[in-house]
Amino acid sequence: MLTAIFYYMAGASVASALLAVTRKNPVHSMLWVLALFLHVAGIFLLLGAEFLAAVQVIVYAGAILMFYLFVVMLFNLPEEEARPRFGNHWPFAAAVGLSFAALAWVARSGSGIAPAQTRLATESAPQGSLAAIGMVLFGPFALPFEIASLLLLAAIIGAVVLATRRTA
Amino acid sequence: MIVSVDVILGLSAILFAIGTFGFLARRNIILMLISVEVMLNAVNLSLAGFSRHLGDLRGQVLALFVIAVAAAEVGVGLGLVIALNRNKPGAAVADLTKLKW
Repeated sequence: MLTAIFYYMAGASVASALLAVTRKNPVHSMLWVLALFLHVAGIFLLLGAEFLAAVQVIVYAGAILMFYLFVVMLFNLPEEEARPRFGNHWPFAAAVGLSFAALAWVARSGSGIAPAQTRLATESAPQGSLAAIGMVLFGPFALPFEIASLLLLAAIIGAVVLATRRTA
Repeated sequence: MIVSVDVILGLSAILFAIGTFGFLARRNIILMLISVEVMLNAVNLSLAGFSRHLGDLRGQVLALFVIAVAAAEVGVGLGLVIALNRNKPGAAVADLTKLKW
């Protein structure tokens, strides 16, 4: 049953990603990307990453996508829709994407990552618990966590500086 | 484990390839940034899959950092888009030739 749900989520996320990068109307693309984010959050849930799924829904689907939609609303959409959606070089882009997928597929089947599967059965219970993630985040990852906050501060200041209109 | 980690890595590879195609092929700068989001999501998926597979929570923590970096990227990237839009209306990258010699 859970496997069937996983395969539904996987198929739906691939389909919505394809639709998101090929739709002509940017707002339709945003909505398909929203579908992709929600399905990926569902896969996170199935993988036992509950906190990651919640962050995915709140930050990606909630904050980031709203930001994109607001910026799309500032633009002149009919003019954009009149243009071709892909550049003339799109077959090369498709070739790059396909060759990357093939490369990753080969690397995936050739990697020796299988043996750890036996370890999982013994210690799978407390996987996604928020307390355990908090212990890791504020223990060994405390410095990267602080640096991430610094990065976000820099991004806030950068966005304000870039987007304010200079009157001088 | 519901499915093997191989399946999750394959799904992640497919999503990343779709994102790569979108980034290279689209002409609208906002949709190029959206394609980058698709690629970052694919990476998060493989990190979560490895985290589950290895029974190690550090993968999920790395995925959280990826989300934080994605938020920063969106803030600066869309700020740039707005600033560009002020100089030259529209979001087509083909029009942005000011720095081209």
